[in-house]
Amino acid sequence: MKEKIEVRGLEVRYDGYVALKNINFKIPHPSFLVIMGPNGAGKTTLLKALLGLIPYQGKIEILGKKPKEAREFIGYMPQRDKINTNIPLKVRDVLLMPLLSKRSFGIRKKDIKRAKEALKFVGLQHLWDKDFLSLSGGQQQRVFFARTLAMEPKVIILDEPFSAMDVATKMKVVQFLHRLKNSKTIILVTHDINPLAECTDNVLLLNRVVIAFGRVVDVIKEENIKNLYGAPIPIVKTENVCYLVGSDAHVHT
Amino acid sequence: MFTPNIWVLRGIIAIFLISVVAASAGSFSIFQKSTFFVSGIAHGSLAGAALGIYISLYFFPINPFIMAMMFSVLFAVAIGIASHRKENIEVAIGIMFSFSMSLAILFLAMIKEYASVAWGLIIGDLLLLSSQDVIWMLITVALILLIFFTFRRKILFSIFDPEVAMVQGINPYLYETLLFILIALGVVVLLKGVGAILVYALLIVPAATAKRIAGSFEGTIIYSFFISLISGLGGIFLSLFTSVVPSAYAGLIATFIYFLSLFKK
Repeated sequence: MKEKIEVRGLEVRYDGYVALKNINFKIPHPSFLVIMGPNGAGKTTLLKALLGLIPYQGKIEILGKKPKEAREFIGYMPQRDKINTNIPLKVRDVLLMPLLSKRSFGIRKKDIKRAKEALKFVGLQHLWDKDFLSLSGGQQQRVFFARTLAMEPKVIILDEPFSAMDVATKMKVVQFLHRLKNSKTIILVTHDINPLAECTDNVLLLNRVVIAFGRVVDVIKEENIKNLYGAPIPIVKTENVCYLVGSDAHVHT
Repeated sequence: MFTPNIWVLRGIIAIFLISVVAASAGSFSIFQKSTFFVSGIAHGSLAGAALGIYISLYFFPINPFIMAMMFSVLFAVAIGIASHRKENIEVAIGIMFSFSMSLAILFLAMIKEYASVAWGLIIGDLLLLSSQDVIWMLITVALILLIFFTFRRKILFSIFDPEVAMVQGINPYLYETLLFILIALGVVVLLKGVGAILVYALLIVPAATAKRIAGSFEGTIIYSFFISLISGLGGIFLSLFTSVVPSAYAGLIATFIYFLSLFKK
């Protein structure tokens, strides 16, 4: 595996509390990894460790670099509730914010072009001049997704991107991810793997320790799901894909 | 024909400078929801100015303006550090508020024979500014503008989306503290002109009104400037006919415009 993301013996503690213990996995670049687990399982903590935002023990290597050094080619989309909704910004302001923060004055034409192309990619080019806060939750998520893409990252890390999205929007974003998975590594935390089941390369089931890691068909098994959530959840198997029944309102059958 | 004298001219220059502060520091206070911070810092700078007057009277000459600036910046940094250490920001400001107010009362009590000087710090008077006062205000506003234009994008990113800002190599705590310092400097500019009590009226109320009217980032900054300017100039104009200080009228006008903005759909 020439280019890869590798985590070895990762441990994260908060004030003595062990949030993550002995986490090990390795994925190639480009590829698509979905991380699943119950609330409080340490999913966001794992993402923060990958981003070098929190102290950790163990080894994390992202395309040959340590997390802090790798930030230059990582695009991160956190949960939407982390933003300050008291600032009356336009969609273009939100998109350009990371690009403009690199310089004190002026706007480069190529930055505007990148931002517009990213907004077009998510199908919202008509909202360029709209008030960001007037958009629906799903549209805001797509703008954030576009902002992540505008940074032209090699690795995209998404923390519960489907929250606040209706079914149609969710499927659109899945299509975007499908188009990106051959050129970028995508690491995505979600409670709902069903819409991603066909484009995911690997799944990591996490509950402070790794419950299971591997291909969808190998990991999404009743015993693993029971170990993960502490309760059995029925699974429907098709030719190549497994779907969890009851994890979401719209179930693939 | 009405001919403005030098005192009125200084007052008008001061109002222009205050409006620049309202547009920059005031707008960002509203965006950051740190309006309580402005009150806390106003009392911190009052304590500093009172100490400056005390030292000048009994020890050696020192400009109270510089002491006010030192105190307010010190308190701003302390609040920034407390916030970084996961203390609730409102609690941190409340503690600094009570601490600075206690110091202010202590220092004011020590200069009680100069009660008029102390009263000037509390309610200010735009029509009693000396040339030195205006020059200090000008220097401070120049510093505020330098910080604002150099770091506004990083500050905005830090307060809008701190996690992504951090991933992009920006330290949000550093820039939040820089914003606190920016606001603290703004408070000191207003202290001399409108006094500690009415700092809030001309720093926060115009920006709050502007945000309601403009509905955009740039619009809030521009409207904030003009609302503050209109309120201040109106205050000076009305005070020429009465014995009331301009800041009282300015505060009333700014608040009246805010109430009018509530009718905007």
